[in-house]
Amino acid sequence: MRWFGFGFNAFAQICVQEKSDKEESSSAVRVPTQLKNHVGRSKIRASWSRTASLFLDEDRRVRLAGFSASISGESLGPAVLDTRGCEDAVISETHLTLAFPDRIESWDLQSKDEAPSWRTEIVHRSQSSDVHLPLVPGGYVASEPPIFRPLPSHLQAKSLALGGGHAILLTAAGAVYTWGQGSHGQLGHGGLIPEEEPRTVEALWGMSMRSVAAGGWHSVCIGDGGDLYVWGWNESGQLGLPSRGLRKTSRQKSDLQAGGLCGSVGTCPAEDPHEEVFISIQAFPALVDVSPTCEIRTVSCGSRHTAAVTTTGCLYTWGWGEYGQLGHQTTASLDEPQCVEFFRNENLHVVDVVCGPWNTFAAAVEKEVLDLKNVPESPL
Amino acid sequence: MTERRTAFGSPAASLWSKISASLPPDEGQFPLQFSDKVPLSVVEMLKRARQELYGGTTGAGRVLNAQVILDYSWERLNTGTWRHVDKEWRRVYSYGCLFKAAALCREAPSEEGIVQAIRTCDMGLLMGAAIMGNILQVIVCILQSEIRKLAKEEDDQDHVEAKKRKIASSHVGLIREELAVPRIKCPSLESFNANHLLPLKPVILEGIIDHWPALNKRPWRFVFSRSTRIQMNIVFLDEYLRSVAGCRTVPVEVGSRYTDEDWSQTLLTVNEFIDKYILNKGQVSENGHKAVGYLAQHQLFDQIPELKEDIRIPDYCCLGEGDEDDITVNAWFGPKGTVSPLHQDPQQNFLAQVVGSKYIRLYSPEDTEKLYPHESQLLHNTSQVEVENPDAERFPEFVKAAYLECVLKPGDLLFIPVKHWHYVRSLEVSFSVSFWWS
Repeated sequence: MRWFGFGFNAFAQICVQEKSDKEESSSAVRVPTQLKNHVGRSKIRASWSRTASLFLDEDRRVRLAGFSASISGESLGPAVLDTRGCEDAVISETHLTLAFPDRIESWDLQSKDEAPSWRTEIVHRSQSSDVHLPLVPGGYVASEPPIFRPLPSHLQAKSLALGGGHAILLTAAGAVYTWGQGSHGQLGHGGLIPEEEPRTVEALWGMSMRSVAAGGWHSVCIGDGGDLYVWGWNESGQLGLPSRGLRKTSRQKSDLQAGGLCGSVGTCPAEDPHEEVFISIQAFPALVDVSPTCEIRTVSCGSRHTAAVTTTGCLYTWGWGEYGQLGHQTTASLDEPQCVEFFRNENLHVVDVVCGPWNTFAAAVEKEVLDLKNVPESPL
Repeated sequence: MTERRTAFGSPAASLWSKISASLPPDEGQFPLQFSDKVPLSVVEMLKRARQELYGGTTGAGRVLNAQVILDYSWERLNTGTWRHVDKEWRRVYSYGCLFKAAALCREAPSEEGIVQAIRTCDMGLLMGAAIMGNILQVIVCILQSEIRKLAKEEDDQDHVEAKKRKIASSHVGLIREELAVPRIKCPSLESFNANHLLPLKPVILEGIIDHWPALNKRPWRFVFSRSTRIQMNIVFLDEYLRSVAGCRTVPVEVGSRYTDEDWSQTLLTVNEFIDKYILNKGQVSENGHKAVGYLAQHQLFDQIPELKEDIRIPDYCCLGEGDEDDITVNAWFGPKGTVSPLHQDPQQNFLAQVVGSKYIRLYSPEDTEKLYPHESQLLHNTSQVEVENPDAERFPEFVKAAYLECVLKPGDLLFIPVKHWHYVRSLEVSFSVSFWWS
């Protein structure tokens, strides 16, 4: 399995770029680039400035790339950190949380403390096999203090995703709960008000979901049938629905190219034979058509973009593209899902995707290898 | 410093030398102090941008680093309610604006580049917090005088057609005498206090704002002078605002009422706003109606201090308990037909009419129950009733509420007591200034 990264790279969290003539490219990787030293199976987690890689085949160690790891002579805050035996990890701008068979630890990446800022013991071995960060026994770990937040036990959480100011939880039964900030419709309850406690997304009631993800102000989930539901803010097209902001920008650009024949934005009726409907905020779940023919296997959200892998091994991305995080080798934003041609052209079958806030990581295998070995559908 | 000084003396070099003179002399004296709310990675980005400001890299890289800071802090500014966003993020945003504006002006900027730098500074002034002795205000002044120099060289043909426009005639006879808000000329502080402020009675004060430079000595005097033709006033207002603030970015409300579904806010330069919404060069919206744009409730005088010179805070505000700095001064500039739905504010209000006229209706807070305020927390200070076309079935009590009304004309100063419900509709192109005080 090979991991590729693209998007925001100002801290060399994807790769170390040589200073070239193109000064502007130094903080953005536009072409999917293979991560070095990633052999065997591994998990990737990304914060804005760092990437954490957990190597599953070796001694299960976590390696960080990016901010401060890239500065020579200055190591990661807690120098004593021994990550051997790690089973799962999550990383935020300030904290790294590691799940071991017997304990979970949260380390403050900005302090030199020799002890984790939060830890909990795992008494029963059976518990640890269920650990799926950021869920921890009795609650979950947040991206900033207070690190531990309790959850009502009746929820029977299976997985949890943390957005910019909201959270989305999937129960063992396939129900979806959300809470936190609701200003941009990201909770999916139809309103814009915040929720203190987990509240079930009623519009999805009766449908079983199998995966959830959260961006800065949007949420997505995959239904049992491989269909994709989205809601929240569509400011950069991150929902894959028509975004007024994007149309404006692209039209302004085409106006300029056309020599500015159209005086001001929106004055060209010939271009708009039909009245366009734009979505700024989608306060209820909406079904989005990623690819007409195939199901969605995995989905992940950046702060303002979304990436989904189909069961046929294609990667689709949409939303904010300013740092190349869509992988289409431009910095344009998109308000409809588009297949990342790079992998198809390289004859690669995408099996997993993980987004950082402004970048994207995709795991892929050679199509031939897949055919020969008959690799099971689920990557990990 | 590796700055190329050979071009010194050319206009661009002198622009940069003015800007760099307003910055600390070297990197060491340029402060970057933040609380621990700002992660070290973001501080690292800020340091890189600072280094480039004093270093010799090329322009593109500099803008990009500043853009990273802007993009990151923009995300933080939009996370959670505005009140709860840590002020540190507004400071970081301002630094991003400073670095970007400086980068844009570094190497022989085109006029477009300067305009973009002004827009960048304005974004910092609108969304950021003051940094380094309000340096964005200092830089925007330098940039504006540069633009004005360039503008003088250009022909002014564009504005001629504006003079041909017809303005709707005034609306005398609209007001029923028994409902008219009383008018008095220059009352003493004591008499205003006893007869209006303490009993919370609305009144129009005449002869109070006549001495404003905006209406008198400075360029605005053309706006409101002995001139008999209103359309001249507006042309002069346009030109004056264009010359002082043309390329400044301001928030504009689009849609007739803020309670409407399709109401939105956008950012435009004053020039764009005047062209599109005042001179009506604007487009027809999707449903075929002309969209109404309103530069409403904006603290324009803080953003553009030059305009502040042309107005005065009414002396009566000293009867309040607050400091003069606590008085909120807002500008309201828009075409005919802007509507502020019936609402109440938590402070005393003086509404000064500088250009054009407005129809205003006032209801006492005692009648609040008859006014059907919205139930949502966001709009609980706003009535659901369309004042000039009330739905008698849904809101039967509304017609029973007593009210006062008036047409506010240039030179009038309306006292709206705290919590008094008011409905405002402009009858023609209008510029008003409101003072909220306690």
